[in-house]
Amino acid sequence: MTLSRRALGGALIGAGIVGTGAYVALRDNPLLRGLTGNATELRGFVGGEKQPYLANPQVVDLLRRHGIVLHSTIAGSVEMVRQRSLIDQRPDFLWPSSSVMTEMAKMSGLSIVRDQTILNTPIVIYSWSGVVEGLVGAGLVTRTADGHYEVDTGRLIGAIASRARWQDVGVPSLYGAIRISSTDPNRSNSGFMFAGLMLSALTGSVPDAGDLDKHFATVRTVFEQMGFKSPSSGKLFDQYIAGGPGSEPMIVGYENQLVEWAQADRTRWERIQAGKGARPLLIYPRPTVYSAHPLLALTGEATALIDALLTPELQAIAWTNHGFRGPLGEQTASAPPGLAELLIPEVSATLPLPGAPVMLDLIQRLDAGT
Amino acid sequence: MRKFIAAFLCLLALAACSDSTPPETFAVVAGSENRDLEPIVQEFCTKQGHACSVTYLGSLDIGLSLADAEPKYDAVWPAASIWISIFDQERKVRHLASIAQNPVVLGVRESLARDLGWIGRDVSMADIVAAIRNGKLDYLMTSATQSNSGASAYLAMLSAAVSHGDTIRRQDLDDPAVTETVRTLLRGIRRSAGSSGWLADLYLASARQGVRYDGMWNYEVTIRDVNNQLRTEGKELLYAIYPTEGVAVADSPLGFVDRKGGQETEAFFLKLQAHLTSPEVQKRIAESGRRLPFGSASTATPRAEPEWNFNPEKLISTIRMPEPGVIRQALDLYQGALRRPSITVMCLDYSGSMQGDGEQQLREAMSFLLTPEQTKRHLVQWSPQDRIVIIPFDGSPRAEYQSTGAEAEQGAMLTAVNTQVAGGGTDIYACATRALQRIDDLNRNEEYLPAIVIMSDGKSQGGAQAFRRAWDASTKPPVFGITFADANEQQLKELADETGGRVFDGRRDLIDAFRSMRGYN
Repeated sequence: MTLSRRALGGALIGAGIVGTGAYVALRDNPLLRGLTGNATELRGFVGGEKQPYLANPQVVDLLRRHGIVLHSTIAGSVEMVRQRSLIDQRPDFLWPSSSVMTEMAKMSGLSIVRDQTILNTPIVIYSWSGVVEGLVGAGLVTRTADGHYEVDTGRLIGAIASRARWQDVGVPSLYGAIRISSTDPNRSNSGFMFAGLMLSALTGSVPDAGDLDKHFATVRTVFEQMGFKSPSSGKLFDQYIAGGPGSEPMIVGYENQLVEWAQADRTRWERIQAGKGARPLLIYPRPTVYSAHPLLALTGEATALIDALLTPELQAIAWTNHGFRGPLGEQTASAPPGLAELLIPEVSATLPLPGAPVMLDLIQRLDAGT
Repeated sequence: MRKFIAAFLCLLALAACSDSTPPETFAVVAGSENRDLEPIVQEFCTKQGHACSVTYLGSLDIGLSLADAEPKYDAVWPAASIWISIFDQERKVRHLASIAQNPVVLGVRESLARDLGWIGRDVSMADIVAAIRNGKLDYLMTSATQSNSGASAYLAMLSAAVSHGDTIRRQDLDDPAVTETVRTLLRGIRRSAGSSGWLADLYLASARQGVRYDGMWNYEVTIRDVNNQLRTEGKELLYAIYPTEGVAVADSPLGFVDRKGGQETEAFFLKLQAHLTSPEVQKRIAESGRRLPFGSASTATPRAEPEWNFNPEKLISTIRMPEPGVIRQALDLYQGALRRPSITVMCLDYSGSMQGDGEQQLREAMSFLLTPEQTKRHLVQWSPQDRIVIIPFDGSPRAEYQSTGAEAEQGAMLTAVNTQVAGGGTDIYACATRALQRIDDLNRNEEYLPAIVIMSDGKSQGGAQAFRRAWDASTKPPVFGITFADANEQQLKELADETGGRVFDGRRDLIDAFRSMRGYN
């Protein structure tokens, strides 16, 4: 079931204004106007995964010191670069979650004054300690010398597409065929990127239209087996965390989501680490793809936002509290305690996503086929 | 400007303003399985000085309410988020968070579970199919189209029946091997209902009256509550079966509905949600017998009770939910083909007092019930295997109409019923006795799920004795009452209570009452 894009866009526009709501309510109040000084007010659409970062009071404050006040509205990455009703609002900037979106924005006729990747986070697989132990035992997942978990992307896709059963991959406590869940690739970026990753991994290089024809059936099988696909990466992660290993044994997500979740409640995190129950774990697919977060400045004024977000202070908060790496995939500060051992210092095996025309064709064919 | 100053003063002295202007009622709509958690919500609202109302509806109705142009509620708290996924086309619901995790399981009488060799071992859906085929097992289950626990059980049955081992796909619904297995599992249903809570009450009330059902599909926490009651009464407990192919887990999501309330309402919602997910309240929820979301702020788990196989520490496999479009199609298939067929005998009051407005409303209700496009929207459509009997009555039963649920036959029946003219006295008992005869004629082999429905607008003459004698000697179908205008609820309630039925209030909305009743057989 696919929502009409128009209905979806309407809902997204209606959906939460991030962070600066109080400011919006009070900015016209003459008593308070003096406080705002000569700040540049910028309006734009951002992917929902960056909402907590932009709402972080430290971030709001630092941006303010750079003379910037943001009025950002959450929108899906694919929608913000493609949907007329959003584009027609003439935003100052767009902040989607994949570099392909820059290309797609140009295909939609948007003129970009400047674009720059601000943050990066790799696509990872989330699972649970008990499940991962089984997968390691069966040889599907490997534990590196420094204690991180990796899975060969091609082998994982092969196991899912061939309907291997959990018991065949070392996890007899789960019934049925091995399964992974991602978000709906037609609505949400992490599912979109996972679709691209699968195609790139199956091709072994940058896929063209012919590769899409050759491997589409495999990609479709993996998505079909997911059944219900959440419309947003945040909702899927919430489902994973709420449901536990029985309900969501493996999901596709962003590396930053676990960091952000752990940092949101340190007591809970420490308790889980110390407890005897299942612990959430991340597995790095080899190769994986980076979800780059390019900021597209559509007006001259918005270029200042790019410069501000690249300053070391704002970059460090992005990593430490929200798990986003810097523009080159680097950790921009020391990793938060209790998390460092889970996070790869450097993600070396990455692939580029297929180009925009192939990606568009891929998601349209997935939409038609399910 | 004056308004602004007032608002600004309010900001300075928040408490004073909220005292002088009572806040509007914060409206929550929830599934019946959350009823025992309402005190936690109300305590919070009282402390906050905010009036809150909780309305209980089935999952389908909660879902449909999201399609209303102007939603009636500020928060939804259905049994499972899948109902929001299916119906919230405009994404009105935000800030969803799981409050508890409730697996839907099969409770089986302990002694029967022992006879079947099910104690202390894995039981598959194939074992359940075999027990039904051998005539050893039947159970209560809510309507899959009206209530989440029934839908969950049904989807678990479908999941187990597909041979490829992963989620249900569209083409599986056309596979005769799949539909035959599920049809058998649904043949095990002795009684159905539109509400999980009501079904649990029915199990208890029947046990008290000496009627033994073999089991019940329901939430794990509901089975626990029923067992607590059964234990107190010295009766046999229900042993929980978690089919190995996986069960569906209701994630009890509380979500905010974006409507006219604005930021203040949203802020209040977020406070309420933070309260319900706080360590203290989560602990209370665990003490109520519910599993907590994995990432809960509390580490509490409900106490294990091995005597009925309740072990919250044990990992349970859950089924993979199919695409919303596939679920919707699966529900249509349930209602239109796979469920056990029903026989419904409706006694409709055409006494003199129904003249005018009453007749008109009854016509509209019948028009709803016998128009497939309308019943399909609410997933209460008849299947061609169903039998419908309508007996108009006044002081005595009038000539009756019979039909199957085939779409082509419904129109003719509607036209015929609408020729009835109100006049004469009221005797519900005479009509009920006639209805009983009809059910015994048509359902001798008990292949149908029966229901007698008596819709009446007044006080009945006559007595219940003849009916009672006849009922005791019959297949004992439940009697449902629908009250209208000045109906004597007591008379209908007595019949319903004695026969395991229920009374629906048709005074506010007669169509709605008939529709609700359709979830019960």
